[in-house]
Order: sequence, then C-alpha cells, then structure tokens
Amino acid sequence: MNVRRDRFSVIAGTLVIAVLLTLLPLPAWLQMVWPYWVALVMIYWCLETQDMITLGLAFSCGLVLDLMTGSLLGLHALSLTVIVYLVTRFRARLRFFPPWQLALSVLALLVNDRIILLWIISLRGDPMPAASFWLPPLAGVLVWPWLFLALDRFRGVMRQRALR
Amino acid sequence: MRAGASTASRIAGPTAQTARLMLYGLLAVVLMAMDHRGQYVSQVRSVLEYAVEPVYHVVEWPARAIRNLQEQFQTRRSLRHENDDLRKQLLSQQADLQRLDTLVEENRRLRALFEGAEGLVYDYRFAELVRVDLDPFSHRVLIDRGTSDGVVVGQAVIDGAGVMGQVEDVHLHFATVRLISDPNHALPVQINRTGLRTVAFGSGETGALKLPNVPRLADVREGDLVVTSGLGDRFPGGYPVARVIHIDRPEGKTFIQVEAEPLAALDRGREVLLISAHIPLPETAEPEPEAQEPATGVDGPAAVQEPPAEGEVEAEHSDSSAPAGDEASIETEAPQ
Repeated sequence: MNVRRDRFSVIAGTLVIAVLLTLLPLPAWLQMVWPYWVALVMIYWCLETQDMITLGLAFSCGLVLDLMTGSLLGLHALSLTVIVYLVTRFRARLRFFPPWQLALSVLALLVNDRIILLWIISLRGDPMPAASFWLPPLAGVLVWPWLFLALDRFRGVMRQRALR
Repeated sequence: MRAGASTASRIAGPTAQTARLMLYGLLAVVLMAMDHRGQYVSQVRSVLEYAVEPVYHVVEWPARAIRNLQEQFQTRRSLRHENDDLRKQLLSQQADLQRLDTLVEENRRLRALFEGAEGLVYDYRFAELVRVDLDPFSHRVLIDRGTSDGVVVGQAVIDGAGVMGQVEDVHLHFATVRLISDPNHALPVQINRTGLRTVAFGSGETGALKLPNVPRLADVREGDLVVTSGLGDRFPGGYPVARVIHIDRPEGKTFIQVEAEPLAALDRGREVLLISAHIPLPETAEPEPEAQEPATGVDGPAAVQEPPAEGEVEAEHSDSSAPAGDEASIETEAPQ
C-alpha cells in the first residue's frame, strides 16, 4: 500500500507541474502552440502504470484545470476523461508500439481531443477558431519523446530512492 | 485493465469502463451546460476561484522575475533614449491637455447656461495585467486589482491608446476583464467624424472589430475614428476605440461590412487604467473655473513651454505610469 501511495504522490507531483506549466504566462506566439501538458503527462502515466490513472482522477484533474484556466466548467474534464478512456482501452496494444508509432497515436489522441473541443465550441455558438487551433497537437507530438524520456528518468530516480 | 482482481475498479472489463466514461461524459456536459447558462455553477465557481487564487501568484512569479532581470540589464543609453521620448510625448500631450482644459471649461459654462446635466468626474486607477488568454476562445485577461481595491463588475478598462474592455468578474486581489475583441462583446460606439451611432462587436481576433449595423448610405470612410458613445451606461462616452480599416459594400445588402482596428494594445500592453465613472461632480468644483479662467489663459500654444502648475502634473503623470506608483490616481474631467 505504501508503495502505491508513493507512486501516487509521484504522479500527482508531475500532474501539478503540468498544470503550472499550462498556466505559465507566455508571449502570444508561444501561447498559440503551447502543448496540452496535462494530457501528455496523463497519457504517459496511463501507459506506464496499471490502474493508477482512473477516469475519476482524469475527471477531477480536468475540473481543477477548468477552474484554473477559467474555461467552461467540465470542458477539460470531458477531454481528459475521453483521452484516459482511449488510452486504457488500447493500453495493451499501445505499450508495444515502436516509439514513432506511439507518437503517431499520441497525435491522434490530441487531434481527437481538439475535435471534441471544436464540437463544444460549435454547441456554444462561438465562432470557429483560426487555423492555429490545430498547432498545439503538433507541438505536443514534438514534445512527447522528450517528455517521455524525462518522465522515465524521473521515475527511475524516484524508484531508486524508494529502494534505498 | 482486464484483470478482474484489480483493486481500483471492482467491476472490470471494457463495458464497465465504457459505462463509466458515459457517466463522466454526461456529468461534464451537464456541468458545461449549467456553467454556460450561468445557473448555480457560476456561484460555486466564483467561491472556488478564491481558493485557486494563490496559484496565480506562484505562476506569475517566474515571469515577474524575468521582467525584473530585464529591467536590471537595460542599458543606461536605452533608458536615456526612452526618457527623451517620453519627455517629448509628455510635452505634446500637455499641449493637448491645455486645449482640453479650456474646452472642458467652455463646455461646463455652456452646460451651466442650459442648466443641463453636469459633467462627470472620472477617476482613473492604475492596474497591471497579470495573465492574458485564460481561454483562447474568449478574450479575457486578468488584472491585479480586485474587490480590495474597489473594483466592481462592469467597470471600463482602457489603456493609453483606447478602450480595452470591461471588468467581468471580481475576486479579492484579481479581476477578469473581457476584451472588446471577444466575440461575445458588443460596445456602443459612434463614428467620431459624423457622429453616426452603431455597435462594435468583437471578431475573435485582437486586431479587428466588426461594425455590422452600418446602413448602406452611411458616411463612413477608411481611417475614421470610432469612439465610445456612452450609451448603455457601461462605458463613458468619447474614448477612442478603433480606426476603420476596411469597408465592404456587398451588392444588394442593407448593411455594409465595416472592419475596424482597435487602438488599444489588446495583445501587447501590460499597464491599464480602470475608469470609475458616474461619480457626480462635487458642488464645490463649480465656482473654481470662473476663478481660474483668466489665469490659465485661452492662448493654448503659447503656454506650452513652462507653466509652473505643469510641474505637479508631470510628477503625478510619471508616478502613475511607473509600475510601482500604482496608488496614484489622476482625476480629469470629461464632458459626458
């Protein structure tokens, strides 16, 4: 149980950092391509651990993100829940994909998320966003390999510390 | 995931997972609908946002540190250069202000003649942007003034060049401002040259406003200045908003498509002013103009160089434009 709690605190820590990264005040051009950090981190943990990232966690994490970013309450909650659902559903397959294929799957997930967002935007009656709307998924995929390696390294360090 | 003995999910299997997804999805959609309609959820939300507030401070910190560093390393030469520029700007604006002063006096006298409505005193309060782009689809920014500084919902926000938006939501030390470029924002305006009244809608881009209700035969030209009309009781009248950049006159339509470029730096500036309007002019302020009138003189341009009173004004101005001197508030009068 203790190991589980340790692991959870590691996951929670990275998620908090991802949320802070999302909130970071940035120049406009960077903001335009800023990747969806929380989703990327969640995809990583979802792939690497079993039963740690539940739909409930994704939902509540999304609600916190909604509060922080001032978006429609439930927007990020829905998008994260869908992402986590898809990853857990195809986890067995995704885990054995070669890296480039995994990156493509991440791109598909992020684009799918954008499509859901587009649906919400149109339901709300807001005007259609510009073409730059599709940049964050691309940036997300570019960041993905480095994030994957960094989180792997981080996890290794934490595990060694726990063993000692 | 398929392991039946997993601890987290008692009923494992794809169907249970799908059912749960449906449940959460439904919950999210209901929440969004309620939030969109502004029922219940918005109150809960504004309470929760108080709890979230400290996080903004944390996130703001690195940006602030970087900015401080930049200021530290700014060279002496560029500072002097900037100083020169600002001085020139101040001088020319003082000249304008002097003319404005005489106009205000004249306006007040005429109003007194007609025993019409008094002009309003507007109080400006300095504020700084903390965060832009909370949500890419609604143009909102966060400023570092809240209820503790007397900010109220609906207050107009301007910068040095023009109208920026209005306060939408107030917290203790923060307030969110909806920019005029937001697609859901409409601003009662008039064309300065002709006085034509219309409404400026946000277009979703910070570089353009739309004026869709301009009649076909209206006299509008590219380059016309668009100012607030003061109707609608939110924005005080007469503040510059935008400049007309493009006019499209489609055949067979009743209205022409006018596009205007906002004058305020909606996506760049950091310092803004909050206007508190509708403070009735105090009684004592009225006799003053008669007493001062001969002293100030009507000849504006000649007095540009030195008048002693200007020194104080200058100090006050520079104070308020420096990020630190935030409590300074400038009082000016504007004709309604």
